[in-house]
Amino acid sequence: MVRTASKNELLPGTLDMLILQTLTRGAMHGYGIAQQIQETTDDVLQVEEGSLYPALQRLLIKGWVKAEWGTSDNNRRARYYTLTSAGRKQLGVEAENFNRMIEAIARVMQTA
Amino acid sequence: MAKPGQFWRRLLSVINRNRLERELQEEMRLHAQMKAEKNMAAGLGYEAAHLAARKQLGNMMLLQERSREQWGFSFLESVLQDLRYGVRGLRNSPGFATVALLTLALGIGATTAIFSIVYAVLLRPLPYRDSQRIATIYTVSSMFPEFSLGQSIPNLRDIQARSHSFETIASYQLRDYSLTGRRNPEQISAAAISPNFLDVFSVRPILGRSFVPEDEHLKSGNVVLLSYGLWHEQFGSDPQIVGKEVTLDEKPYTVIGVLPESFTNFSVTGWGDKVQVWVPLMIRPEDQQNRTGWMYFTVAKLRAGISLGRAQAELDGIAAALAHEYPKDAAQIKFPVESIQQVVVGSDKRELLILLAAVGFLLLIACANVSNLVLSRGLKRQREIALRAALGASRGRIVRQLLLESFLLAVTGGAAGVALAAAGIRGFQTFAPDGFPRLEEVRFEPQIAVFAFAFSLLAAVLCGLAPALAASRSDLNLTIRENSVSAPAGRSLLRGFLVVTEVALALVLLTGSALMVQSLMRTLRVDPGLRTDHLVTARITLSKTSYPSEDAQVLFTQRLLEALRAERQFTGIALSNNSVLAHRSSLMTFDPSTLGLNEQKVNLESRSTSSGFFSTMGIPLLRGREFNDRDAKGSPQVVVINDSMAKRFFTGQDPVGRMIRLSRESKEQYQIVGVVADTRDVHLTSKPRPEIYFPILQASDNEIMIMVRSSLQLAAVTGLLEKSLWSVDKDEPLRNVSSMAEVISRSVAEPRFRTWLLTAFAGAGLILTLIGIYGVISYSVAQQTRDIGIRIALGARPGNMLRLVLNHGLRLALLGAAVGIAGSFLLMRVLASQLYEVKPGDPLTLIGVTFAMLLVAVAASYLPALRATRVDPLVALRCE
Repeated sequence: MVRTASKNELLPGTLDMLILQTLTRGAMHGYGIAQQIQETTDDVLQVEEGSLYPALQRLLIKGWVKAEWGTSDNNRRARYYTLTSAGRKQLGVEAENFNRMIEAIARVMQTA
Repeated sequence: MAKPGQFWRRLLSVINRNRLERELQEEMRLHAQMKAEKNMAAGLGYEAAHLAARKQLGNMMLLQERSREQWGFSFLESVLQDLRYGVRGLRNSPGFATVALLTLALGIGATTAIFSIVYAVLLRPLPYRDSQRIATIYTVSSMFPEFSLGQSIPNLRDIQARSHSFETIASYQLRDYSLTGRRNPEQISAAAISPNFLDVFSVRPILGRSFVPEDEHLKSGNVVLLSYGLWHEQFGSDPQIVGKEVTLDEKPYTVIGVLPESFTNFSVTGWGDKVQVWVPLMIRPEDQQNRTGWMYFTVAKLRAGISLGRAQAELDGIAAALAHEYPKDAAQIKFPVESIQQVVVGSDKRELLILLAAVGFLLLIACANVSNLVLSRGLKRQREIALRAALGASRGRIVRQLLLESFLLAVTGGAAGVALAAAGIRGFQTFAPDGFPRLEEVRFEPQIAVFAFAFSLLAAVLCGLAPALAASRSDLNLTIRENSVSAPAGRSLLRGFLVVTEVALALVLLTGSALMVQSLMRTLRVDPGLRTDHLVTARITLSKTSYPSEDAQVLFTQRLLEALRAERQFTGIALSNNSVLAHRSSLMTFDPSTLGLNEQKVNLESRSTSSGFFSTMGIPLLRGREFNDRDAKGSPQVVVINDSMAKRFFTGQDPVGRMIRLSRESKEQYQIVGVVADTRDVHLTSKPRPEIYFPILQASDNEIMIMVRSSLQLAAVTGLLEKSLWSVDKDEPLRNVSSMAEVISRSVAEPRFRTWLLTAFAGAGLILTLIGIYGVISYSVAQQTRDIGIRIALGARPGNMLRLVLNHGLRLALLGAAVGIAGSFLLMRVLASQLYEVKPGDPLTLIGVTFAMLLVAVAASYLPALRATRVDPLVALRCE
């Protein structure tokens, strides 16, 4: 059973971080978050869009994001997510961890 | 771990579950909508755009499920859901659930009850401090090789002086006293103890003081310690009891203390009467120098760190030295040392171990059965499992659900089992034979219930797991599409193995119980050689203070006989110094060389009897005459002997009229006046031994058994007996009044109880096996419906199908029976000593038992076989 690596596979545990990072730009609904991630990464990172929602529920429970119902650009009822201060702090922690990991991987790749 | 904020948000999400659910759905719908719009903008048609959007989003149901898992306490909730599902599943198959529950309850209940009893009786240390260090030292002498005797005072002093293994060696004697001066006279059991006796058990009085050496010399008069039980029942727990007087055998005793409640059930040998009062041990002057007066029993406390083996080695050395120093009085003497635990548990050890094995078998059978049931059920549900997997249930979740179901079964079965065990233990305490050692210490042992529970849980889980894993691993499409093709060979092998094991174990149980039942029936059919109908017996123990001399005892005996004969309701009256069928007898050493025979000394059973004894007891007189009232003091000394004795020592001669002496040293001569038939008056199952009868008026005793025949009820007879007795002496208590039927029943109480238990186990085992075979066969028939259909379509007759299925059941049973018979031979070795006139390898029994087992197999396979013959080939081939 051979599996080819596809371009939209995320490193495990990074989805939460990406969502938090995206929300630093301001309140956004789920669809918006997905679009934003894809656009910023030039479609390199394609989140399986559905998996956004379990992640968002998790972030809500942890208290890292807040959700409020509002009206979208084209006048639809949509749920907007915003970053809480705890979420901002968490983003700092995760970004730091992530950078450390990337550096470590980069070092391995250089010496190998 | 979880922060309080998070906890509240989880709690809130539980409360707002419905709103959250709606919002999530709305949100995701919006997402899909917007995605579709984007796709349409990119040029896709309406249908294609929506389909693509849904694809991009992923499995909506699964995503919602995963989102939901974030809320609340999803793990717990899903467990609850699985439990609900499990309960529903079990309710939907009540047959499976009932059988599995009963099986578990029976297995866990019986195991827990029996293990609890065995633990309390055999394994739990006696309730004394350092009880593993308490032992007793017997004497075994070549003069009485069959008996464990006490110590003689000179030997005891030498052991005390020469041994270093013991901290303390105390001595005691057991006695009976009549307690008078309060209500009716009452017989109580007493122990006369040396002052260091209580030290061995680390017991201090809760009131007053213990004995001191001065008490032996009567400096403070007669003193007595009361047991807690007697103090409570007879003296109303009087806190001022110390210093008061009680009357024992007509003599005043001053109460000096009360022993603690923990010592209230004390009985040195485990069996028999519990000691109620304690008096100082007075050593008779004539015993001080008598090296062969082995009448003082001992309890000793080993020094810390000294093993029984080391103590025994030291005692062997002392015994050898004494034998050398006193060749006349201590030749071949031995001092076996035994821990008090061994003494108390004694001969019941083997019997309890048999029970333990029986119950172990039952637990194994129960586990095999539950395994089989769960296995069948798992296989039946394979398609259901595959379907759930196809709908997105993870493998872990499916396995967990099945495990929960097994767990549910085990918990409910376990609870029922615990209830059963508690009831069983209470029943045991009620129905166990009188005097069963440490009976009051038996209680429900939770650890054992947990063990039995864990054991059956493991069986259920392991067997539930196998099909679950197989189903969730296998190719979903295949399993769903699969028709009812026969089960995989490996698993049907396992099921076959389980059934064979079950049959084998049940067969061993059945053989054991069949042998025990036969043995009991033969015991009950034994002709004791006595007429036991309408016979009532009672006991009197004359106090030595009121009747110190033989003359006084003879006078009492004569007056008692007269009083009894005055009672017209009694059609037969006899007195004897020993009870009948009480497994107790008096022995007397007889030297056959006095008759000019070249034979070793032998022990004779001996009994003192009144005139009328043989006719009342229905013992035929073969020659000569019975005793009469003129065979009293002053008349020539006479004896009657039994047939065994006549045949052994007077072969071919008429013993009547011959004179005998018991030993060369003795001057006493007895004339044999009669020969009576042999009886089994001591023990139903032991062969009659040579017995010699003395007239009670020439050989009186302070123990008197009354035997009267009357057509009155027991209560009426008791009243008449008391009236007669108290007309002679109003201070003598009448003890142990019972009908002869009761006596006989009591004399077989132990074997009957044992047999009853083992039969109950065998019955339970047989039922479980029946269920087990039925389960396997009916499952395999269900599995083979298609095969059977094809065969019938190809022209097989229903009879062929019937035979095919029955053969399957019989094959399993035969294989199991073969293994079981082999196992029975092993068990029989253990059982042999418990059997009376039944050979352990009795071929008829084995054949009968095997036949019964095969019958069970046929019965169990018959219903499924019938089902096989009724298979409609068309339905079978079409059916999924």
